[in-house]
Amino acid sequence: MLEFRKVEKLFPGVRALKGIDFEVKKGEVVGLVGENGAGKSTLMKVIYGAYQHDGGEVLVNGRPTRLSSPREAMQAGIGMVFQEQSLIPSLSVMENIFLGFEQQFVNFGVIRWKRMAEAARRQLAKVHLDVDPYATTSALSFAQRQMVELAKVLALEERVEGDLVILLDEPTSVLSKQEVGLLFQRVRELRTRAAFIFVSHRLDEVIEISDRIYVLKDGEVVDVVAGQGASAEHIQRKMVGREISKAYYREEKQKPCGEQVLVEARGLCRAGHYEDISFRLRRGEVLSLVGVEGAGGEEIMRTVFGLEKPDGGTLELKGQPVRSFSPVHAVRSGVGYIPRERKVEGIVAGMSVCENMTLSQMGSYSAGGVMKRGPERRMASEWVQRLEIKTPSIDANAGKLSGGNQQKVVISKWRSGGCDIILLDHPTRGVDVGAKENIYEVVREMCADGCGVLLMADTLEEAIGLSHTVAVIKDGRIARWFDCTPGSKPTLYDLVHYMI
Amino acid sequence: MSIEKIRPHLPWITLLVLTLSVTAIAPGFLAIGSLLQMTADISALFVLALGITLVIYIGGIDLSAQSVANMTTVLVTLSLPTLGLWSAAGVLAAGALIGAASGYASTRLKVPSFIATLALGGVALSIGQFASGQQAVFMDPAARDLAFGWVIGSTAGVPNEIFIAAALLLVLLFLERRTVFGRALKAIGAGEPAAIASGLRVDAYKIAVYGLAGAISAFAGLLFAVKLAGGAPNIAEGFLLPAIVAVLIGGTPLTGGVGGVLNTLIGALIVAVIRTAMVYLDVPATAQQIVFGMVLIVAIALTIDRSKLAMVK
Repeated sequence: MLEFRKVEKLFPGVRALKGIDFEVKKGEVVGLVGENGAGKSTLMKVIYGAYQHDGGEVLVNGRPTRLSSPREAMQAGIGMVFQEQSLIPSLSVMENIFLGFEQQFVNFGVIRWKRMAEAARRQLAKVHLDVDPYATTSALSFAQRQMVELAKVLALEERVEGDLVILLDEPTSVLSKQEVGLLFQRVRELRTRAAFIFVSHRLDEVIEISDRIYVLKDGEVVDVVAGQGASAEHIQRKMVGREISKAYYREEKQKPCGEQVLVEARGLCRAGHYEDISFRLRRGEVLSLVGVEGAGGEEIMRTVFGLEKPDGGTLELKGQPVRSFSPVHAVRSGVGYIPRERKVEGIVAGMSVCENMTLSQMGSYSAGGVMKRGPERRMASEWVQRLEIKTPSIDANAGKLSGGNQQKVVISKWRSGGCDIILLDHPTRGVDVGAKENIYEVVREMCADGCGVLLMADTLEEAIGLSHTVAVIKDGRIARWFDCTPGSKPTLYDLVHYMI
Repeated sequence: MSIEKIRPHLPWITLLVLTLSVTAIAPGFLAIGSLLQMTADISALFVLALGITLVIYIGGIDLSAQSVANMTTVLVTLSLPTLGLWSAAGVLAAGALIGAASGYASTRLKVPSFIATLALGGVALSIGQFASGQQAVFMDPAARDLAFGWVIGSTAGVPNEIFIAAALLLVLLFLERRTVFGRALKAIGAGEPAAIASGLRVDAYKIAVYGLAGAISAFAGLLFAVKLAGGAPNIAEGFLLPAIVAVLIGGTPLTGGVGGVLNTLIGALIVAVIRTAMVYLDVPATAQQIVFGMVLIVAIALTIDRSKLAMVK
């Protein structure tokens, strides 16, 4: 029904999908697993038409196709049930089900609500959901809304020829065990009508429901295993299994950390995000927060930088309790934040490399409010050389650089200003291999200079390879601490075990 | 060549093309005397546009400029007999206060800038109406000349207004290009989240910008009042639209971060040429806003960076 042959997807500087072969047959449930950054979400976006492939072939019912928008994908029978639900909360259930396809109920320009409600009831019956089609969507529970979303996708079958392919993106992440059971029951019943692609972090569930499981890693399908009798451990090994080279992460440069505590958190909580978080970050230490997407690590990091306020607990920066949570205060205390959203919070596109580097420390490069161009430019040139930033000049627009070079500009911004508490949020995301090694080198240098680094790594190997200490976070709590001194580093499987 | 490459050059190309077209209709247009007159006539509007430029540069909009100028003409006229030259300081402070209030509303209270400045503009307008009793007020010529004689008249054949506007432009250009303040404004306009994440006091800078813009609007009002030897609560009516046109057509887009005060100089000259052309073409003064309304839409459509907008509301 749906077949991918050697499909490629390129982003500037990154080959996100490297010749993916992927197939979904009629009535099948296909699992799709991979680490963060393995290419799962890119692949999904190509499947439902949000991205277009740059190479290879996409065949729908045997015909080569190019799905140029989600709507076109829907017309080809491919629907997506979103993790972040796509229903509009203020509309009624039936309006959501037929959103964008109301034309069938229109007579002389007027929508016939009764007919729409009737049609909506038919769709809701398919998923055994007993709610009033006139009900406002926001009044429904999360699980109910998910079923509405599924019903919305199923409504496609009356409009398209051939069978449906339905993508389920992390459908179980916020469901209770019972609700998961119900969802799986529906999926099994609906196999007569549609094929499913099931994407999840929860391997046991993927194994339970899938006929076949595709394992993705670094933009490639590294294995396809039968769901029946698959072993979670085997899949995990395939997901993460790269020969881990100690030299790659500069482990020989990992030195014991110092005594002074730079950051101390005691019982930090923020409702709905994290709870009872306590940790200490010392000089020269790399402390990793590890967890699945949404486990709370990112919020903890943003709290340390003052972008979010905790509801309870205390935070001390270099022994001083933080009273006002704001980036202004954090930067003053010597904290530097290297965000995941590099283009949004990292660099200012439209400003030059040089201007970006001094943005956080204009006070040091000015007198009486007037910028001192000479010192500023000398500093920028020095850091461009030091980190081997590939840029036409220090006056070039930082927004036009590649991801890795932008990252180095952000690192220069903080390091040149003498920040010694560095928050690294996915520093190597979307960065090519060579630039990654540069960044690892920089992390080691920072530690040697006495910085403390709080890290959210892009991959588990990176977390283990770079860190002195790893905190595994699960559902907003620290589930387990690991010591990562070279020689006694934990394995990936040790960590994964506590993550999911 | 792509539109991206041409876009930064659009303003001066527009100015050149317009100037040549007007010269074709009226060969006398390029005479020094007529050019000086045109430039002098646009000076007060240009000053008003400079204030608006700063706000648009950080990604906001200032709809209160005209009302603040209106209020100023009344207040400075009424306070001139008692305060003399100090009345200028008073009205500049009043303008800054109104602007800062808009800034406070848009940053701390999260009111969108167009609503905040519209509302505070209403306040300014009302103050002018209340203070003047809804009628025109006049300056005593002797008192005016004593305090503000430097505004009117000419030096070496060039009207003083041009020197005043040029001086303000230079000060603001220095502020924009050479100071920490200017750098912060650019960062806020081009990438506010990154500016926040770099530890800049973004809210404080924004409030300062709105305050400064308010003071500059008041300064424009002061120029009006001195030139016309009096004030009225609606004397600057019809200036807001051309001033915003000057900013946008000059190349400072509504999304902020690029352009700046020098661009507004070109924009103001374009507005001046359009105005002059309309005079040559016998377009009645009352119909000019029709043209500026159209030009505004075209200017926005041409200058806006669509990649920065997720959706327009």
